[in-house]
Amino acid sequence: MTTPLLEITNLHASIEGKQILNGVNLTIMPGEVHSIMGPNGSGKSTLASVIAGHEAYEVTEGSILFNGIDLLELEADQRACAGVFLAFQYPVEIPGVSTKFFLKAAVNAIRKYRGQEELDAMDFLDMVEEKAKSVSLNIDLLDRNVNEGFSGGEKKRAEVFQMAMLDPLLGVLDETDSGLDIDALKIVADGVNQLRTQDRGFVIITHYQRLLDFIVPDFVHVLKDGVIVKSGDKSLALELEEKGYAGIEACKSECSCA
Amino acid sequence: MITTAIDNSVFEKLHKTEAWMFTNVSALSKIDFACPSEVDVSVIATHDIAPENPFVVFVNGVFQEGCSRIADGISVNADTHGDIAARGDSLIPRGDSSSVSITGTHAVTVHVLQIVTGDVPVACFGNVIVHAAEGESISLAETHIALTDQNHVFMPCTEVVAEQNSNVTIVRSIRGSKEAYHLGSLHVAQHESSTVQTHTITLGGKCVRNEVYAYLDGEHCESNFDGMYMLGKDQLVDNHLRVEHNEPKGNSREFYKGVLDENAKSVFTGRIYVKEDAHQTDAKQTNQNIILCDDASCTARPQLEIYADDVLCTHGATTGEIDEEALLYLRSRGIPKDAARTLLIYAFLNESLDELTDDGFRTVLVDELLSNLPGGNFIRTLYL
Repeated sequence: MTTPLLEITNLHASIEGKQILNGVNLTIMPGEVHSIMGPNGSGKSTLASVIAGHEAYEVTEGSILFNGIDLLELEADQRACAGVFLAFQYPVEIPGVSTKFFLKAAVNAIRKYRGQEELDAMDFLDMVEEKAKSVSLNIDLLDRNVNEGFSGGEKKRAEVFQMAMLDPLLGVLDETDSGLDIDALKIVADGVNQLRTQDRGFVIITHYQRLLDFIVPDFVHVLKDGVIVKSGDKSLALELEEKGYAGIEACKSECSCA
Repeated sequence: MITTAIDNSVFEKLHKTEAWMFTNVSALSKIDFACPSEVDVSVIATHDIAPENPFVVFVNGVFQEGCSRIADGISVNADTHGDIAARGDSLIPRGDSSSVSITGTHAVTVHVLQIVTGDVPVACFGNVIVHAAEGESISLAETHIALTDQNHVFMPCTEVVAEQNSNVTIVRSIRGSKEAYHLGSLHVAQHESSTVQTHTITLGGKCVRNEVYAYLDGEHCESNFDGMYMLGKDQLVDNHLRVEHNEPKGNSREFYKGVLDENAKSVFTGRIYVKEDAHQTDAKQTNQNIILCDDASCTARPQLEIYADDVLCTHGATTGEIDEEALLYLRSRGIPKDAARTLLIYAFLNESLDELTDDGFRTVLVDELLSNLPGGNFIRTLYL
């Protein structure tokens, strides 16, 4: 039997004493794309942050296995090295560090962890050029400081570009579509689709069905009050679009969700 | 060996004055300073970081003609002072040492290297006079290096006159031994539509006082007084500025930032004075510190003295630890915690060095910064 890429069991998490996740169960097999939808405050971003290892969140119960290993035992940087990538909802600006400089540190840290040889400047720059093309990212942008002076669209594209550079096994996209116009959305989606392989899985967190027209998910889950209340295929996203989250709540009693 | 004519009793009570209340240099009053007449000049070549540029070298305040490269517009004179320093109320002693005078437009940066060295404590002065006539541009790099771990005291005094439409840039770096005292001053007088930028970088020294006195005597002056420091064990830096807006429509900026490790201490005092009728002055002062350790401390004293109505003066000071959000972002990309911290400290300081255009000097300063920075070697592996 294939080992699940990600296996979240009964996950409870809180921040500053406030309980946000109340028993999330989610299994992702290699190659699958899962979309998590849900109203504001339902815990979507918390779930992403907990997977990535944000220290402000405390896991109070439950487990996360990543490729069979206990993810909660790993620090944020070790998780990234193991193959977890989080595309931030709000990518952080870092004045004083050029994007290339930062990415070289990241790529080589991960290669070192995986026992691969570190890239020299030439090979690194070749890789940058190739991956930047895949998300139509202007390469001059990479001489600028990390995310500094980037437009909203450029920031999100840069996140997908970073994902391509770091070659993760699991990509978690936290509202990568927010603030994007339709053209930028297509470019970002196209970048993600190019990264879809039979080994790599994705968690796509979004408010709107629109992104899922371009990144077609295998499964859609609705998160509400910190638990997954309904799961289905891509048609669930369309249903949500039509009925809203309130409609889902109404059906909660009559369908066997989660 | 001759004893310098320095009355070191002046240091005894300096800290009793308001301007020096956070910086105690009374230890200097108990030291017998000397000035070796014979000095080893072999070390100079290693500090000749811009071999194509004009180069003026002093060792213990004595001009080294054989090692220097003098260009047109540069001269070395005995016992000369400009008249700008006399306008301020600096308490740093001024000495009669030879001075460098720089005039005329220079295509490249003039490098003035001041080395203080000896196996006994040395006290010496270094006087530089920069005069940019109308429309001229002068760029000056001052490197002040104390070698040998003695309680040397070096008192450099640079006076700048920037006439109408002229442009002067000075990068002063204090490097080398962490045992020496450095009591330096920059005195700047600006005329109409002139631009002056100074950048004071403190990486060495036990106790470093950097004074800037600026007089914006014409309309539309542009002035940037910036500073950066990275200090560790037992080091103190005191950046002390007074910027006088004497005519309307001047823009001045003071921007000082630094990182303090162990029990290092930073003092920042920025006084902006706006004279009556110096309307539409735009003056800004900022001091940002990152402290890496609970024992480090910062004191920021913004001071505004404003006698005109239509002015914009702002001040701000921040002292904090490393940005946790940024740290998490770097770590979420696989960069280990220590390396991520180092990268963020480097980023914070490098932002200040980024503005230096002269690559040769920049490279040396970045290199010294990395040597002082815990884990700095990691940054070297990232160069492309």
